Amino acid sequence: MVNYLIRRLCLMVPTVLGITFMVFMLLALAPGGIGAGLAVSGGQMSDTSKAAQMQAYLEDRYGLNDPVVVQYLRWLGRISPVKFGERDLRTPIGDRVSAPREIVEPPMGWAFPVPPKPEVVFTPIVAASGGADQASEQIVEFKKLQREAEGARRAYIGSVRFFKDTLADYVREKGAPWTSRLEPKGGAEPDKFRDLEFGDPAKDANPKAAALKEAAADMHLKWAKAEETRQRALIAFRAKPYPESGIPIIPGVVSLDTPDLGVAFSKNRPVWDLIATALPVTLLINAIAFPISYLVAIPTGILASVRRGGWFDVGSGLAFLSLYSIPTVLAGVFAIGFLANKQYLGLFPVSGLHASGAESYTFLPYFDDAGTWHEGWLVDTLWHIALPILCLVYTSFAVLSKQTRAAMLENFNADYVRTAKAKGVSRKDVVMRHVFRNSLLPLITMFVGIFPAMLAGSVVIERIFTIPGMGSLILEAIDLRDREIILANTFMIACVNLLALLLADILYAVADPRVSYE
Amino acid sequence: MLSTATNAAATPARTTPILSVQDLAVSFDNGSGPRVQAVAGVSMTVHPNQTLAVVGESGCGKSVTAMSTMQLIPRPPGRFDRGKIMFEGRNVLALSEGEMLSIRGGKIAMIFQEPMTSLNPVYTIGDQIMEAILLHQQVGTEQAWSIAIQAMKDVGIPRPEERMKAYPHQFSGGMRQRVMIAMALACQPTLLLADEPTTALDVTIQAQILELLRELQRSRGMGIMLITHNLGVVAENADVVCVMYAGRVVEYARVFELFDNPLHPYTRGLFNSIPLLTTRKHRLTTVEEVVKDAQQFTLPPPGGAGLDVAASLGKLVPWWPDPPAGVKPATQSGEDEYALVQVAPTRWVGCFRTPEVAAHPSPSPDLDYRREDA
Repeated sequence: MVNYLIRRLCLMVPTVLGITFMVFMLLALAPGGIGAGLAVSGGQMSDTSKAAQMQAYLEDRYGLNDPVVVQYLRWLGRISPVKFGERDLRTPIGDRVSAPREIVEPPMGWAFPVPPKPEVVFTPIVAASGGADQASEQIVEFKKLQREAEGARRAYIGSVRFFKDTLADYVREKGAPWTSRLEPKGGAEPDKFRDLEFGDPAKDANPKAAALKEAAADMHLKWAKAEETRQRALIAFRAKPYPESGIPIIPGVVSLDTPDLGVAFSKNRPVWDLIATALPVTLLINAIAFPISYLVAIPTGILASVRRGGWFDVGSGLAFLSLYSIPTVLAGVFAIGFLANKQYLGLFPVSGLHASGAESYTFLPYFDDAGTWHEGWLVDTLWHIALPILCLVYTSFAVLSKQTRAAMLENFNADYVRTAKAKGVSRKDVVMRHVFRNSLLPLITMFVGIFPAMLAGSVVIERIFTIPGMGSLILEAIDLRDREIILANTFMIACVNLLALLLADILYAVADPRVSYE
Repeated sequence: MLSTATNAAATPARTTPILSVQDLAVSFDNGSGPRVQAVAGVSMTVHPNQTLAVVGESGCGKSVTAMSTMQLIPRPPGRFDRGKIMFEGRNVLALSEGEMLSIRGGKIAMIFQEPMTSLNPVYTIGDQIMEAILLHQQVGTEQAWSIAIQAMKDVGIPRPEERMKAYPHQFSGGMRQRVMIAMALACQPTLLLADEPTTALDVTIQAQILELLRELQRSRGMGIMLITHNLGVVAENADVVCVMYAGRVVEYARVFELFDNPLHPYTRGLFNSIPLLTTRKHRLTTVEEVVKDAQQFTLPPPGGAGLDVAASLGKLVPWWPDPPAGVKPATQSGEDEYALVQVAPTRWVGCFRTPEVAAHPSPSPDLDYRREDA
């Protein structure tokens, strides 16, 4: 059994890799690529505009200018619990701080020689033996250096973009055949112009020569600044203003750490934070909805099979199938329109999870001294999720109860049921001990399907009732093409799905002694 | 000539039958069509320490008779039309479900044809044997455990303590049938209904199981109703044989008398269809050939010690649903044309109900006889 478990767990790794790789590639293949959600919108975008520079900065920041496979490998490195290289730091509130990234040297070094890399000598504040003041001073300094480095980097990336645009202008002035080497969108890739000779700009007839030289000089200046601030930030980082994250295996080379789900492009917040707010909502709704559907459907299925062909069997089958046939969208809209709308019954709230001001409620309901009813947080929440749960539950009865009924009926005619009757086992025990026990296997398959569904949430219902759960999160992420959220969701659901399948196989072995993994 | 009188003297003091089926008729709802009469007036008795073999082809009503004895016929669609099944002085057909629960598995036990599927796959052998014990005996779990171990020893299962924790799929077919027997006999029933207990087993295992049943019967004095269609099994094990066809008893006799001298054409047909080692036949005779032959529909004149009405029965013709032309005698219209007639002190044959037969009804078949070859 243990061997089997280990083998199955090992097989999950390539499966998860395959799933995430396919999702990553699908995102990359989508029109606009991975960064489409980041595309700076608004008006006619001129190549030299600030918007283009902003775009360049964002692409650099999220690593979108690398090849897709490199991006995927980088994502894998983040998600992997085994980390290589320098360990991240963790702020007291749990945010991850990585070392400042390398800066790419300015392009066209052959024509515009790059000045030597600045050597920075810098002694950061170090909190010796944990003095609280000194520690906070160190953090303040590190944060300042981080900000400076980021600002300088941003300016440098912008200047590179500007240089490239100027180069394109220069090439355009030079005319054919040079213009054929320009990018289809109009920009210029410096590496394609290695044989272009730049003379003294004063003698160069090209009217853009001076501008190009100026752009190169500006770029070099900003590079030196970015490099210098980066090195400072790096030194401050290595002084460890925060504790290190994870457990080292080989210090400085390999360490173990929790998966890093990344920062959502669209919200500039860690994906884990977004999931941590959305997941409890979905879990709450599902944790109420699933037991309801099981507690109703399975006894109904059992009773229907015992009284096969009777009024209960026919009636429950008809009722559940009718419910099953009502689209959730329609039911949700009707529920809001008739039950929640103040112009009709107005019994339930229309949307959301809490009343405004629910944070100040007490947990349990109470009557105050004046005899006024205060509903409290718990009742308020249940009242808000009542309609969503109703809409989530009513369609699930049919499949579950029909499955139970079919599995029971199959076993009612089994020989061992006849044996049990001949032994003098009472009708109730025949049904529960012998027939139902043998009907568990198909139910287990259905049961483990719950777990991925719990994480995924119901897109339709959360949308209709404006509930900020996982379904809303993923839908919004797809709308905005937020790669990090989509990937994190896919990754989590894939893992939970695989674990649920493993759980099903284990439960099979528990439920049926004929199944063995020895 | 009948050879009955010679064997009759061997019987010791008479015992009262454990089970007495009297004119049982069971029918099933067939949806749109007419009701199917699975059993149409069957009578038989089982005495202590006696094996009654019920023989007949598939669908002749053997199993329905046995299942009726335990009220295991699903109703609806099944229905008891008439008749009684007397067990320990009570008509089991009239008992409530609650009363039946104590009889099923307690006083009457049953073993089935399919040992491979007759045990619940998800419970251990021990659980299943103990379930029966705990239901019918006022004992605790520990005592039930030791009773179950003893029951498994009795049926010859080696290392019963280990096997108690095993699951049915870990057993061979023969071993499972032993488990079924252990389960059936754990509560010391007085009557065992064995519904083709050896059909699904290979021949050597068949012999072992039947030998086991015989031994257990002798040590406990229980009556066995052995349902089978294997005439070899009948010849080896039965004391009394009841041949059934189409829901009726066509012949009822002691085993050797029946084999020596079958009276009903259907019985003859059954015996003729068995290949013999001593005679070489180009092809076997079918039952149909025999019952299509008008000459087979003759019976020797009834009679024998104590059979006073024999002379007034007139000419008897064996009953058959569609007899050859010219065979069927005049029967009273509107009435059942079948009657089980005692043609000798120890023999009953299903005959057409002529007015003479109707005027002199025969007693129900009841043979207090055990073979003495063992």
